[in-house]
Amino acid sequence: MVSEESGNMIEFFGDVAQWFGDGANWTGAEGILNRLSEHIQITLGATAVAAVLALPPAVWLGHRRIGGTFVVAAVNIGRAIPSFAIVVLFLPISIRLGLGFGFWPTFLALLFLAAPPMFTNAYAGVAGVDADLVEASRGMGMTDREILTKVEVPMASPVILAAVRVAAVQVVATATLGALVGWGGLGFFIVRGFATRDSVVLFAGALLVAVLAILTEAVLGTLERRVVPPTLRERSASIETVVA
Amino acid sequence: MRKPFRRTVVGATIVAFALIASACGSGDDGAAKDGPTITIGSAAFSENALVAEIYAQALEADGYNVERKLNTGPREVYAPALESGELDLVPEYIGTVLRYLGGDATSDSDETHAALRLAWESKDIVVLDYAAAQDKNGFAVTKETADSLGLAKVSDLAAHNGTLVLGGPPECPERDFCLKGLESVYELSFKEFRSLDAGGPITVAALEGGEIQVGLMFTSAATILAKGFVLLEDDKGLQPAENIAPAVRKEIVDAYGDDFKTTLNDVSKKLTTIELVSLNKFVEVDGKDPEQVAAEWLKAIGVTE
Amino acid sequence: MTGPALIAAGFFSWEWVVNHLDDIWDRTIEHLILTGIAIVVGAVISLVLSVVALRYRRTYTPITWFAGLLYTIPSLALFAFLVPVTGLSILTAEIGLVSYTLLILIRNIVAGIDGVPPATVESARGMGYTTRGLFIAVELPLALPVIMAGIRIAAVTTIGLVTVTALIGQGGLGFFIATGLTLIHSPVGTTQIVVGTVLSVVLAVAVDMSLVGVERLTTPWSRKRAAT
Repeated sequence: MVSEESGNMIEFFGDVAQWFGDGANWTGAEGILNRLSEHIQITLGATAVAAVLALPPAVWLGHRRIGGTFVVAAVNIGRAIPSFAIVVLFLPISIRLGLGFGFWPTFLALLFLAAPPMFTNAYAGVAGVDADLVEASRGMGMTDREILTKVEVPMASPVILAAVRVAAVQVVATATLGALVGWGGLGFFIVRGFATRDSVVLFAGALLVAVLAILTEAVLGTLERRVVPPTLRERSASIETVVA
Repeated sequence: MRKPFRRTVVGATIVAFALIASACGSGDDGAAKDGPTITIGSAAFSENALVAEIYAQALEADGYNVERKLNTGPREVYAPALESGELDLVPEYIGTVLRYLGGDATSDSDETHAALRLAWESKDIVVLDYAAAQDKNGFAVTKETADSLGLAKVSDLAAHNGTLVLGGPPECPERDFCLKGLESVYELSFKEFRSLDAGGPITVAALEGGEIQVGLMFTSAATILAKGFVLLEDDKGLQPAENIAPAVRKEIVDAYGDDFKTTLNDVSKKLTTIELVSLNKFVEVDGKDPEQVAAEWLKAIGVTE
Repeated sequence: MTGPALIAAGFFSWEWVVNHLDDIWDRTIEHLILTGIAIVVGAVISLVLSVVALRYRRTYTPITWFAGLLYTIPSLALFAFLVPVTGLSILTAEIGLVSYTLLILIRNIVAGIDGVPPATVESARGMGYTTRGLFIAVELPLALPVIMAGIRIAAVTTIGLVTVTALIGQGGLGFFIATGLTLIHSPVGTTQIVVGTVLSVVLAVAVDMSLVGVERLTTPWSRKRAAT
């Protein structure tokens, strides 16, 4: 239903509430539930794959403390890649590779978005572990592998987990771009609302994404708190501000 | 923003060149016209952008100052921009836009055109002469689908209600000449609607890949023939006359007068559906640069040298 | 269609690039201008909000909460939402772009000022600096590394977001990406996408390095860099 954006805010929010209240908007392939599930799936997928791709090499390089400047430079470039560009760039590649449109260009773009900050922060976290502590551990007879797994990774865990959390939230917001290349997700409502000048649908879509992003932040934040010992938490907050 | 100036290295010189060059205008014949810059917009699909480019170059050849803002978006985005003055000229399709403005479009070009002129008068938008070229919404299937389901006309789809997936631009479900019309006039129902693009490469890929069975394609799209798609016949006459006509802000027409109108009308005169399809072919199928295609066509029809 | 050869063939056309050098230049400048405005306006607003947050500590949480909320709104939605209100204009683009800089800039300005050693502040006060003088002449300069780190991140992020504004009639280099989207089956389209993407990245890296240079020039006493 096309509704003009009324000057009356209350009326507008009433329209939005009505849209959410309409059961038909929740069901079906184009409904909220399906779009939400698509969006969550791609977020989980992209964040997990990015973590698997980025964290092990970053942790290893950080442990070895090699390649610092290269790492930072490479990751800066990664951060500089606009997601909109990647999504569109992968579209013809994906089509020519027979992978179709929609999902794969979006997924790849999200990988490019999530991996670099995870990589930098994991590297910085591990490499930044107090050198004296590492020395002491070596002195106590720990093997290289033990230092990595029992000292460095636990010490770096606040930073690493924070990076995963921040990346996941960014993925949630950016996955909306997928709707521009024929994918679905919550961006579907945004694109639909924009194309039909239906501010209600547009707002509803944006609201859903914002809520999902906040939920993602909350859930991962709680998980973080469970996993990370309290003494290490303060450190992560100050690093996050500067490095994230 | 687009100014014809030479490439240089030092920043300051570039600005100087830009100022000098833009003052000189872009054509070698005709003095630069004094007046407001004409901002030309278009819908976000290659044909409309191409037609807009053709009008733009025709105007530039006559010395007008033109700024391009092509691929602006769907009509819901560029039409308000035209009405508010952010765009000055858009190449329109008389039937759909008349319906968009709330009027009744028929299959008669003259009637529809006159009604459109009237509908837009109050918003100070002038619709110039229409071209013979028409581009209507069409619904295409792959040859395999047509053969296996026995489809030749749009009404043939009714036998498969609820089983087929339709693909089209995001605004399609709201449009009378798109999904809304298919549902009301043809009494069709689709299993799903996929939001893709306006008869563009994503829709083509979706048809080829089988992700949709029916796709919205424009009747003048060269891709249909090139890909061997079957355009279903609009047997219930859902689609109105859709001649191309430039919609221009009144203040621009008033500022420049009859010469301006003649420049554009002369181009429209030469634009037939067959010409349009072949122009589309150069861009869509042969992959040529739209700007080059526009330039070569204008030369071929004698508007430019 | 299969095979890497088919992907490479007909994907990129140098001819197109050579024919459109002035367009490419124009769009790059446009991109820089849009970014510049966003950073400058964003910095001013962030500075004001940071001063408030530093003065009245209780406001820090709501301020960053609000900036964070803006940051979560998907860029496409924010721009699209503003279009009926402010049109297909630079204003629409800038409102969105500025909003996304606030969170990182406010966080870094506050963290930077907080990071100034209390001892330094005390001795400066002892030397007779007023609160305002202290802020301008002592705290801000010492906070500069952290603030610059924030500006660098904000600049790079903004350059990326400017590409999205192509969908609302602005765009800078995003224009090539959006146009390419309608022509992806032809080299004219794919070349534009590549040009738009590559130049956005190049621009971001160039701006980032320039800002590092600016930072070095303005803070010769501070060689310690944040791990960015």
